[in-house]
Amino acid sequence: MPIGLQAEPSLGVPGKKRWAMVIDLRRCIGCMACVCADKAEFDVPLGVWRTIVKVKDTGNYPNTKRHFMPRLCNHCDNPPCVRNCPTEATYKHEDGFVLQRYDRCITCRTCIAACPYNARHVLPKNRDRIKISGVIDKCTFCNHRVEKGLVPACVQTCLGRSRIFGDLNDPKSEVSRLVARNSTVVLKPEKGTQPQVYYIKPDRVMTEQIASHPVSYAARSDAHAFYQHNRGSKFFSGVL
Amino acid sequence: MSTKGINYISRRDFMKLGLAAGGAAGALTLGSKRLRAMEQDLGGTDYSSMTGAEREAIPFTCLACNIEDGGVAYVENGRVVKLEGNMDHPNTRGKLCAKGNAGFLHVYDPDRIMTPLVRTGARGEGKWKRISYDEATTLLATKLKEVIDRAEAEHDPGIRNEIVFKWGRDRTGGAVQRFMHTLGSNAMLNHTNVCESSKKVGLEPSWGPDIESCDWANTKYIINFGSNILETAYFMNPNAQRLVDGVVGNKAKLVSFDVRMSNTSGFADEAFYPFPGSDGAIALAMAHVIMNEGLYDEDFIRDWTNVTSKQLIDHLKPYTPEYAEQESGMSARDIRRIAREFATTKPATTFSYRGPCKHVYGSYQEAAIHMLNVITGNVEKKGGYCLPRGMGWPQPEPVPHGPATPSPIATPPLYPLASHHVSTNAPYMIMKGEAKVSVWMTYYDNPVYTYPSSHVWESFLKDEKQVPFLVSFSPYMSETTELSDLIIPDVTYLERHDPESMPGGLYPCLSIRQPVIKPLGGTQEFRQTLIDTIHKLDQDGSMGMRKYFAFNTVEDWMRAHFDNIPGLKEEGGYNFLKKKGVWPIYGKVDPETAKIVDRNNNEVEPDYELYKSELSSGDMQGADVGNHGTIRKGDHSIGVRVDGKNYVGFGTPSRKIELYKDSYKKYGFNPLPVYKPLPSRSKKDSELVLTTYKVNVHTQSRTASVKYLAELYHKNPAWINPKTASARGINDGDLIRVTSKLGYLVTRAHVTEGIHPEVVAISTACGHSAYGRLAQLKQREAAAEWAQGGDPDVSHNVWWNDKGVHPNPIIQLAIDPIGGSQGWYDTVVTVAKAEAGDKYGDVKVSVEQSLKDYEETLRYAYTGDIHRSNHKEVDVDWDNLPKPELHGSSH
Repeated sequence: MPIGLQAEPSLGVPGKKRWAMVIDLRRCIGCMACVCADKAEFDVPLGVWRTIVKVKDTGNYPNTKRHFMPRLCNHCDNPPCVRNCPTEATYKHEDGFVLQRYDRCITCRTCIAACPYNARHVLPKNRDRIKISGVIDKCTFCNHRVEKGLVPACVQTCLGRSRIFGDLNDPKSEVSRLVARNSTVVLKPEKGTQPQVYYIKPDRVMTEQIASHPVSYAARSDAHAFYQHNRGSKFFSGVL
Repeated sequence: MSTKGINYISRRDFMKLGLAAGGAAGALTLGSKRLRAMEQDLGGTDYSSMTGAEREAIPFTCLACNIEDGGVAYVENGRVVKLEGNMDHPNTRGKLCAKGNAGFLHVYDPDRIMTPLVRTGARGEGKWKRISYDEATTLLATKLKEVIDRAEAEHDPGIRNEIVFKWGRDRTGGAVQRFMHTLGSNAMLNHTNVCESSKKVGLEPSWGPDIESCDWANTKYIINFGSNILETAYFMNPNAQRLVDGVVGNKAKLVSFDVRMSNTSGFADEAFYPFPGSDGAIALAMAHVIMNEGLYDEDFIRDWTNVTSKQLIDHLKPYTPEYAEQESGMSARDIRRIAREFATTKPATTFSYRGPCKHVYGSYQEAAIHMLNVITGNVEKKGGYCLPRGMGWPQPEPVPHGPATPSPIATPPLYPLASHHVSTNAPYMIMKGEAKVSVWMTYYDNPVYTYPSSHVWESFLKDEKQVPFLVSFSPYMSETTELSDLIIPDVTYLERHDPESMPGGLYPCLSIRQPVIKPLGGTQEFRQTLIDTIHKLDQDGSMGMRKYFAFNTVEDWMRAHFDNIPGLKEEGGYNFLKKKGVWPIYGKVDPETAKIVDRNNNEVEPDYELYKSELSSGDMQGADVGNHGTIRKGDHSIGVRVDGKNYVGFGTPSRKIELYKDSYKKYGFNPLPVYKPLPSRSKKDSELVLTTYKVNVHTQSRTASVKYLAELYHKNPAWINPKTASARGINDGDLIRVTSKLGYLVTRAHVTEGIHPEVVAISTACGHSAYGRLAQLKQREAAAEWAQGGDPDVSHNVWWNDKGVHPNPIIQLAIDPIGGSQGWYDTVVTVAKAEAGDKYGDVKVSVEQSLKDYEETLRYAYTGDIHRSNHKEVDVDWDNLPKPELHGSSH
């Protein structure tokens, strides 16, 4: 497959693919099937996540509401991680995947610092099935599945069909129609990254606090335990 | 939860479907494809992320929980590496939940028991000797034979009932019953009364089956009474998929009742927080509004129920919205509004689960909710409240007959209506000498953790005088299994054979479980253990047992179930199921709508109005039409005549929906749905009602050592409203004492707006004292000598440090006298800041006090004094109620 270190943005370029994900937040029920499917797909070890679902409760009794916010790599059309990688380990595929070459990665963490979305992590040691560790890893949009004509694993299992995947350059695709017909937002557009994960009907309370600190004791104590065990990486979970 | 939906679909219907799918015209197919983009496939094949190699795909049926979703296991180099939903399964539609996706970890659990074990130390001491499966089944056969020989010597077949089999999850499709009937024992106990038995007993006498199947995707209005359908309730995965389709795709309104903000209530258009156990009052008040405002379906009530609208209006008179407001806290204004919306928006449906029915008198609550659908004529309508659709399969001949002598613990005489057992009561009855045990077998069951007053089970099963020989078939060292004398571990659900059919949607189907890999480490599946045990017990066939287990292989047993089913047989019988996992295949899943479609992308609609299937002239041969149109043939009613047509009707004696239940009245219960305020309703202001709940990523007790799930949810602080907390000086995260009559536990407070101020809620799934090292956060310790070991990820990368506190020890036994359900949400507690010296996780409870609860709850049984004073309105001869007697055999 052809690669370009920093492939030109392909959104709207005729003849090119621009893989993208639409997350319809009206349909997300916070079931966490995506999180587990993703862990299984890549033997993702404990303590790191390629995708998560943030949970937030709002309102006062008895008028309360729960909100979910699935997060993953935005596979930006203009990815700062790629620009900042000194060893060309991180690259952008011409179809839009932002990928990591483990054999070139020196774990300098520059890409982690450059990513505005906290979408990268260092692979811990002591994995179960796949023994690669100590390098930077991230969501791949399941490029190994997409190339074979399949949707990503998280999309495959999504109970609410909240995650929809396809080619945004194909006007007949479901993602194109969803983006055209609904008001969507991307996260931190002001960073100029041109993220390719589009959210339908997001609540501001979620998009503006994507990296907010845990509020409840239950979430804070989890974060505390996490940092005691994993110094230097970011806590990225929490159901309660 | 053994839902056996009635088999409504005929072979003729399948042929019709086959034609629809097979007659697609090529030109049309091409034409419709041009309108669509070449989208990515949703699933069905899989490739390694490391090598790109295609993985072997083997279908299975999930058993992470009890929804029995269809799945496909992907195997790489002999190892199950991932699971996904089976695209051919008409209800699962290619998707698995979090538990399902993580299910392969059960196979590779480092603490899985890999060998039969016999106890060497004191019971529960944890000292074991490894033995072979051959030695283990010989030992079990010997113990069983002692009981059978004694029964023969004393000419008392009832002695065989000292062989007890208790399961939590029996998905063997009849193997356990075959085994027990072969042994001549009726002492079979399920777990249904800690699950949802009062829902079943609220529904079955009314319309036949034990659950509803809502047509979520096509409805316009849903009222959810105390189910958490988006996280856990029955048929969570298929129902959650369709519910989202209904609410987002079809713009249905979802109204939800719960005492706590579940994901379902948090998703709803409107959520209400009723007082625990007052759902029935709300449902009756809504029915009151619907009947009094003339919003009911007069034709349906007249033609299809055994009551009149006038009778209902009279009965519902006391249940005004104002009365319901007083009981539930939901305003009369909202009750009226929601009732009107529900009755005038068509189609509409309710769904209910454990919230309403897991109370004393839970059966009434369920019956009241059910009635809303009946009076509005939403039953079996497209988009309405439908009957479950299951399919049956034959048992291999010869089938052993049920023994004649009933077992008092299987069918307790004081609970004649509780058709799904009252398993919670067994230890109390045995301790009181009402039944005797010689061999107790436990399968997929963990009462020492999962039952109310769980400490009673621990003390009972530890007592060798009460339970002389305890056998577990569990592959995990649960709180119950660790008390066993003999462990003959089963394999996991991905390594064994079972037949399945679950009414998880509107398309009836059969599915199977089959070994997707060879059982690991020489472990043996339970079904083989049963065959071996019987063969050893009856070596030459002279005891008449061996013939019931004359299977050369376990697969032969499966073939005997499936090879002769009409329709399936023509498609290859069991071989078809081995390949596809499910039968029939209705069509494919439309990727954009998730509807089941044929080759032309037209929806393959499910059948509706099943009760209006007409009887054939052959069916009518020799039949009589009696009072109220009921069509009888011999002793059986086979249908009902309405407007001159002969319909199959519903699964009741009258073949109509029996809102008026003679069976209830016989024992002094109200034949129509009523609301009876519970003792918790008159608790002191300073007290709270304790409720429990499940979360979306766990089962009750079996998943705490599944690493992906434990990482997502591992601790369960007590939910408490800010107002309630501040009145007690409690801050978020504080150590608190939760005290019931039984004793107390020490946990932490999770102060949240999402809970009723008079309720404290603690989830299950946490706080294990067994079930593997991860569940107890002892993953740094070495694996036991009998365990599988492995997975360095678990021993090194677990970052959380809190395993939670289990609430069951302080939960009081309280039994619904009708349906026999445990009232999980009836325990009254006080909550206060922890006292000096209290440590997180402390639990102190009294067995003696729990024994008193048993006596107290018997006062509600039909022979009890409270029953009588609570049912003054029922017109029966109170002095001549039926005498308690051992009834039936087993269910």
